[in-house]
Amino acid sequence: MMQDVNPRNAMLVAIGIAILIALPMVVKSSFAIDIFVRILLFAFIGTAWNLMGGYAKQLSLGHAAYFGLGAYTSTILEINYDISPWIGMVAGGVVAMLASLPIGWLCFRLRGPYFTIATIATAQALMLIFLKFRDFAWGAEGTTIPNLGTAPLMMQFESKSSYYYVALGLLLLSLLVTWLIERSWIGYYLVAIGEDEDAAEAIGVNAPKMKRDIYMISAFLTALAGTFYTQYIYFIDPATAFSFNISIEAALVSIVGGIGTLWGPLIGTVLLETTSTLLQSWLGSSIGGVQLTVYSLILMAVILWRPTGLMGMINEARQRFAGRKPARA
Amino acid sequence: MLETVAQAVINGLLIGGIYALVSIGVTLIFGVVKIVNFAQGEFVMIGMYISFFLANQFGIDPLLSLFVSMPVLFAAGVLIQHFLIRRVLGPNDMPQIFLTFALSLLLLNLALMLFTANYRTVHTSYSDEAFHIAGLYIPVAKLIAFVVAMLLSGLLWLFLHTTDLGKAMRAASQNRDVAMLMGINPNRVFCVALGIALALAGAAGSLLMPFYSAYPFVGQVFVLMAFVAVVLGTLGNVVGALVASLMMGIAESLGVQYVGADSGLIVVFAMLLLTLAFKPTGLGGGRAR
Repeated sequence: MMQDVNPRNAMLVAIGIAILIALPMVVKSSFAIDIFVRILLFAFIGTAWNLMGGYAKQLSLGHAAYFGLGAYTSTILEINYDISPWIGMVAGGVVAMLASLPIGWLCFRLRGPYFTIATIATAQALMLIFLKFRDFAWGAEGTTIPNLGTAPLMMQFESKSSYYYVALGLLLLSLLVTWLIERSWIGYYLVAIGEDEDAAEAIGVNAPKMKRDIYMISAFLTALAGTFYTQYIYFIDPATAFSFNISIEAALVSIVGGIGTLWGPLIGTVLLETTSTLLQSWLGSSIGGVQLTVYSLILMAVILWRPTGLMGMINEARQRFAGRKPARA
Repeated sequence: MLETVAQAVINGLLIGGIYALVSIGVTLIFGVVKIVNFAQGEFVMIGMYISFFLANQFGIDPLLSLFVSMPVLFAAGVLIQHFLIRRVLGPNDMPQIFLTFALSLLLLNLALMLFTANYRTVHTSYSDEAFHIAGLYIPVAKLIAFVVAMLLSGLLWLFLHTTDLGKAMRAASQNRDVAMLMGINPNRVFCVALGIALALAGAAGSLLMPFYSAYPFVGQVFVLMAFVAVVLGTLGNVVGALVASLMMGIAESLGVQYVGADSGLIVVFAMLLLTLAFKPTGLGGGRAR
């Protein structure tokens, strides 16, 4: 499988990773690191969403369900049972995987836009459940995570750059998973389902099983992000953990960057988060709704003029560039 | 005991009329244009703000502002279909879902920027009035809203079944290709469908204003209800959506009465999940009409 890797692309990826590793050593401002962490985190969530939403075109707007389940599983294990969030993170992933089975069983009965609505409803229902059950999950007030100073074993660090490396690790994991899936038979099956589910089934693709499996993988990864985010902000409540904005942003970064492409969610996150940071420094964060107004305008522009997203634009530019040099063909 | 049940049923039925206006719009668009309008709730919100500003600035009764909000939103629907939705109609789901979703985000956040998150209310002479019949309490404003909602639904039914344009719309929803072969101009039919659906949402907003607060997120309450009602009443089925909306209103109200004040939404989600689990084609048995 490894032999058909283009050495030039492998070089580029290696250089990119080296730059990302060196970044916190050069940039010391904790404000900047905070933005980088956000970019890495949302690129990670977007990449997890993209596995199912991008390749198999199952457009979920309910990934906050798994983000929240991951966040709550690790936090409950940490506060009530003193179990390290590193273990809690994996446990949260497993809980999310298991939860994706009944949720998927229900939602996959609908197709297209009504699948999307069903996923919104399940995420909201989970939020309501965590708001209701105050005895095991602190209800609406939520809880803070006890600050232990620097405790790497409990996923707590004094310096923001350590969180940066954890987020970077998560992003690289999701990109690796996507890359492996994209180039294997699974990737082709998923794209076939995304293009035309009935036709895919007619040629022997077991669509329900494929959708279930990719939903489990996507849910697992999203849950890891939930644990990380809770550890990063030292706080959890149902409104943040199951926030609809997380479901929106996961889909948004993928669509703007390029749906169903390996690098799309990362590129989309860089664009959207940078825009949002610039807006906040210009306008201040006093006026509510500015960020999402701009996001929705960008989303509409992409849908109307460039449905393939930024990756589509990049590929077009590359082809045009390559077209000028016929000798290389 | 029986009286509390009857009271809860009446409360639910009255608000169910408003849910029906929103759901009928969603199911009409789905049936005819084959897209889901995620922004339907935001048009309810716009209808409410139109009525609020007319009442606040010119002292116009919210019920009279129906004659402003409905035409304005009809025009908005035609423009949105002609300039936005028409461009994304095709075999691919993604642009259709996320175009109306982006529209919803945009309208909601614009409202947040322009009007802030404050709650706006309009107090009318009949806002606190109520009939007392056989121990039951029936607020006048809600009763008017319900009656007008049913009237508008009836008018829509007549339009769909007696006029040429209405029949063309039903034809387009049954089989778009054949309808086009019969000489029906799809874009014209789609524009009218969007216009009617948005006008109904605007009407819902104006009817709500005497007894409900306007705020940027208000539409989300109604659109969620509408989506569940539309699944329950079979996608694209106007009569099904109406019946399901009334049922949802009653179920929500009974939930608030017997499970707890904040459990109305839980009942709604439970209904959606049960429908999906046992009857995903809806109560209409899967026939769109």
